[in-house]
Amino acid sequence: MTIADVVKILDGKLMAGDGNSPRAVGAVVANDLMSDVLLNDADDILLLTSLASDQAIRTAHIVGAMGVVVHNAKPLSETMLKVAADLGVPLVSSPLAKYDACVRLHDAFLAEERS
Amino acid sequence: MPAEYSPTILQGQHTNDDEILAKTPLDTKALGGDSSVIIMELLQRFKVRDVMKRQIIAVARSTTLREAQRLMRENRISGLPVCEDGRLYGIVSVNDIINALDNGWIEDSCERHMATNLVVMEAGMPISFALRYFNNYTYGRFPVLDSNRKLVGILSQRDVMRALLYELSVEIRKLERKTAGNGPLRATGERYFRREWAVVRNDLSRAGHAANDIKVILRERKVARSVARRVAVAAYELEINICIHSHGGVLVLLISDDTITITAKDRGPGIPDIEWACRDGTSTANDWIRSLGFGAGMGLSNSKRVADSFDIQSEVGKFTKVTCTFNMVPPEPAPAEGGAS
Repeated sequence: MTIADVVKILDGKLMAGDGNSPRAVGAVVANDLMSDVLLNDADDILLLTSLASDQAIRTAHIVGAMGVVVHNAKPLSETMLKVAADLGVPLVSSPLAKYDACVRLHDAFLAEERS
Repeated sequence: MPAEYSPTILQGQHTNDDEILAKTPLDTKALGGDSSVIIMELLQRFKVRDVMKRQIIAVARSTTLREAQRLMRENRISGLPVCEDGRLYGIVSVNDIINALDNGWIEDSCERHMATNLVVMEAGMPISFALRYFNNYTYGRFPVLDSNRKLVGILSQRDVMRALLYELSVEIRKLERKTAGNGPLRATGERYFRREWAVVRNDLSRAGHAANDIKVILRERKVARSVARRVAVAAYELEINICIHSHGGVLVLLISDDTITITAKDRGPGIPDIEWACRDGTSTANDWIRSLGFGAGMGLSNSKRVADSFDIQSEVGKFTKVTCTFNMVPPEPAPAEGGAS
């Protein structure tokens, strides 16, 4: 599942970064506490968060995340978009709630495994 | 803390801009979005009292406008505070003099025609705030009052620029000395790379910037991904800690042949109980910090967890210094992490 797939699954919109990145989601982390995210050892994380700030992007860069999704269509600041573009972190805005986004991604992973 | 300052307007009304100023701790855009960290640090560190002119040329309320005109001409200044026993009553400007000449009241006292709707600065105000006054008001200089509301100085843009240029030249000399020290041979014969970032108190718009830089540097130097990630995690947590808990400080990266060291040192307030502070879930962070995704009390414990060796020293009222060291050779094969990160 690439970032382009994530955009489709979550009815999202790519706001910054490379939408054609071939990196696949290694793990989904849904969290608003950045220290928790830093604690995670998984690779190629897709970070789902309601924290619409530069710090979400900076944290994603530190852990080598393959992308960030801000849910509930929260407004994203210009600086957040710039930090995402500068650090090369794809940033997606989704209208879904965090729980619904997780369920959709889970279903998509199951379908991917079955196919 | 900068947020406690708001423009002081004597006998005037606060504008919307004033309210915004009062609520904004530090707007980096107002200072130029790409201002160097060193400039930011200087703007925060310096107070109005450090750069203002203390020699005040002033007139009394009963002084005539003609006398004020003479003082302005002889001293080449465009405004005079009207002040008695340290108390500021008003300001006479060149415009007041021109009006007096036009209208024939040049022999009147200053008190009759001086401006009394004054914007003043406080001596303890950071220069970062003072600069916004120059942006938001058209005045070229502002009277400065101390905590007892006594006139203690005058601040002009030229005073600020002169002080900043001088301090910047000092900082540049320091940086040059440090850069010259990059990569020399140690006693053991190994070479090393050193870089330092200033971390400004409460400036969350830049917090994490150093850690992101560090990760990029480590990737460029082909450091194993797993090691680079652990170093960056520690750097990020420590940088955020300096930003939100301290009076400001520095983050230092030192790369040698076999180790990477991150050192975070701040200028206080220090940690009274280090053991408590290093425990998971213990924090003195406020709601504002928590709303930004931090302050869960995991910063020090996270840094300790990822480091191969961890050391913390602190003295209440003086400093806290945290040192995390990482072995260059990863203990296990580095996981594959693709993409640009």
